[in-house]
Amino acid sequence: MRTCFVILACFVATSLVRAENHVTWEITPPVCGPGQPFRLQVRIESDDALGPANQVGREIKPPRGMALRFSGQVFRANATEATLNFSGVAPEEEGTYILPAFNARFPSQMVLVPAINLLVSNKTGYRKEGRARAELVLPERTFYVGEKIAGSVVMRGSEQETVTGTFGLECEAEGFTFQTEGSSFTQPLQDGHGLMKPFDLTPIRAGQGEFNLSGIMLVNTGDRISSLNTYGRDRPFNFRRKLTVEHVPETGRPADWGGSIGKLEVTPPDLSNRFPEVGEPIKLKLTLVGEGNLERIIAPEIPGTDTWDIALASELRQRRSEGRRTFIYTLVPRLPGDLKTPAVRFPTFNPDSKKFEAVEFVSIAVKVSGNAPAKVELVTIDPSAKLGTPAAKTITGLLTPTVAAGVKGVSKIEPLAASQPFWLSNSAALVALLLTTAVISVVGYFAAHPEFLIRRQARGNLRRARTAAQDALHRQDYAAYARAMTQGLRAGTAPLLNAEPLALTQSDILRALPTASPTLIEAVFLAAAGEKYGAKDARQTIAEDAQLQAMLNTLEAQL
Amino acid sequence: MSRYLSLLALWVLGATAPLQAGVGEAAYERGDFVGALQTWRAQAEADGVTAELLSAIGNAEWKLGHKGRAMVCWERALLLSPRDPVAQAGIKHAQGAGGTDRPTQTWSENYAAFLGADLWLILGALGFWGTLLAVLVPKLRRQPMGDWTQRILITSATLFALSIPGLYGAYTLASRAVVRRTEVAVKLTPTVLGEALNGTAEGDVVRTGRKLNGHTYVTSADGKGGWMKSTELEPIWGGALPANLDQPQAP
Repeated sequence: MRTCFVILACFVATSLVRAENHVTWEITPPVCGPGQPFRLQVRIESDDALGPANQVGREIKPPRGMALRFSGQVFRANATEATLNFSGVAPEEEGTYILPAFNARFPSQMVLVPAINLLVSNKTGYRKEGRARAELVLPERTFYVGEKIAGSVVMRGSEQETVTGTFGLECEAEGFTFQTEGSSFTQPLQDGHGLMKPFDLTPIRAGQGEFNLSGIMLVNTGDRISSLNTYGRDRPFNFRRKLTVEHVPETGRPADWGGSIGKLEVTPPDLSNRFPEVGEPIKLKLTLVGEGNLERIIAPEIPGTDTWDIALASELRQRRSEGRRTFIYTLVPRLPGDLKTPAVRFPTFNPDSKKFEAVEFVSIAVKVSGNAPAKVELVTIDPSAKLGTPAAKTITGLLTPTVAAGVKGVSKIEPLAASQPFWLSNSAALVALLLTTAVISVVGYFAAHPEFLIRRQARGNLRRARTAAQDALHRQDYAAYARAMTQGLRAGTAPLLNAEPLALTQSDILRALPTASPTLIEAVFLAAAGEKYGAKDARQTIAEDAQLQAMLNTLEAQL
Repeated sequence: MSRYLSLLALWVLGATAPLQAGVGEAAYERGDFVGALQTWRAQAEADGVTAELLSAIGNAEWKLGHKGRAMVCWERALLLSPRDPVAQAGIKHAQGAGGTDRPTQTWSENYAAFLGADLWLILGALGFWGTLLAVLVPKLRRQPMGDWTQRILITSATLFALSIPGLYGAYTLASRAVVRRTEVAVKLTPTVLGEALNGTAEGDVVRTGRKLNGHTYVTSADGKGGWMKSTELEPIWGGALPANLDQPQAP
């Protein structure tokens, strides 16, 4: 009996429970400009099946100045949710307008939709009329080398001219790198009358540079409702601005600053294993988020400690738009016990405040099991070291430099190969050596073979004698002719017989010229020296000039 | 007179103060990298640069975020002293944690880095002259080669032959430069509006080739070739401290 009552009570209780309804609404755009059309969407979720709503338009009473009409509903049979859509036009005056609560009547129940607020503001940029225009959104301040400047081109349209797209964005900026998410990536504006094209600008050198950005937006002109009256056109835009860039100040710069500029925040560090054993590597993941040049940051160095061996394992490089950067470190516990991962301080330069700030990744408690190794090589404390001995330094990363004072260095590092005196002196020495070698070789050769010079000299004497004989012949000086011929014969014969010319007689000439006429040679010699001995007239000799010339030619050919 | 004396004293103090031993190291140790850099730069301008000094300046520049300058300093330090530990550690660190790229050295470059370019050239010149004189002198004297002449000939010829790969490696090592600008594009053509093939970052080391139209043909560490503005590079040879590439202020 008691059980029957309990079951009955349960049935009664379930039938008495009232269905709970959940109503949400959304206005697009959230803040409207005066006179701007908007859309209101009311979503109703219930525990019971809803079905279609009846006479919604009659229930709603919009405030003065606001036009609002029920434009349709979305529902399914036996579904527990429904969506009511309204279209409206915001009032012309600024302010907050309250749409009073109203009832939505469904076949199964009546749902009360609470009051809805509509904000109307002039600051939305909504324009009912006017030409579409582009605006450059870029911070007005001094920029810093390496900083990532988030800028955008806002293309605002109006009721008459709507912006539907953009293309051909080009940037000419000496000293800057310019990047966009993609040629077709744009974001719609909240009021639905325009687009925004974001871009990143990074200064790469200090100084004052000119930033020139141009592009084309696609504008649809005409009636938005009727597509028959709409036509599109391209409208170019161009912005030119002087930007001042400086280096990040060196005063007050922390030693461990890794080049980060921006407003960064840390996320809680992620550890792969909180209960490792001694010597078991675990991964520590540190993620930075926020606005800044995240992709340019140098991974922070975490030095090893007595309890941890630490090495940078890898980095997760996200896309530029993700706004996060992750560094992964490998930590190896050296000792057992309750340890804490090292806290990592991360300095960053805030370009707005122009000061260095720091964020910190907090420590994570780790319980390390296992036994300590027999000998732990401590990094900072060496138990066997004498008192006062400086601690050993880690070998990873940069070494501490030592500079000896007073050591003279070089003013310019140039290779010896670029030294002109080196090559000039070597070339000169080589040329001199080769010339000397050549001269010595030639001189030595002639010294070893003197007959070349003797014969060359004999040829010269022979030719001179022939010329003198011809002169004498022209002068009709027969004695001189005979002397010159004799001289020529002697000069030509001397090298052949290896004798002095003056010592040669007619028989010697015949030894050199065996086919020559002895009578003629005798006659020439007599004519040459015959005056002393009363010889015949030398005129007879001249008649044999052709034979004598032939003798000289034969001798010359033999030399 | 006292005014002149005080000015002289100030000048002497100013000239000697930065050159005091350990001032730069002390500043570096306590994290004052700007102070350390100023001290070492003053020392470099006064006494010239040494491998140690360049390595130290490279470390300080790296700590201040000047990757390009740091790489130039370390590379130049290795030219002066091929086994300078600070410069070697700096380059290794830059390649690891800093993400800079550096072409892998060929066997001839590793061979050349063993002694340094100047020493290879001196050895090559000695070998050449020794070989030449050992051949020519006996001929000029018209005497047969003696024992010592033959020893000199073999030694010199060996020295010369061994120096040839060293000279070649030193030549290719010298044909490198450091990218000094951030995110410089390697272009297909040596023109201002040339198509960008790939990018390089500040501090990357590239091999350089011929020059044309204000551009230099470069080959990056991954073997990709292209043209880069010559003003965006700083050759490793031919300087002391890194050049100041900052844009001058507009009037």
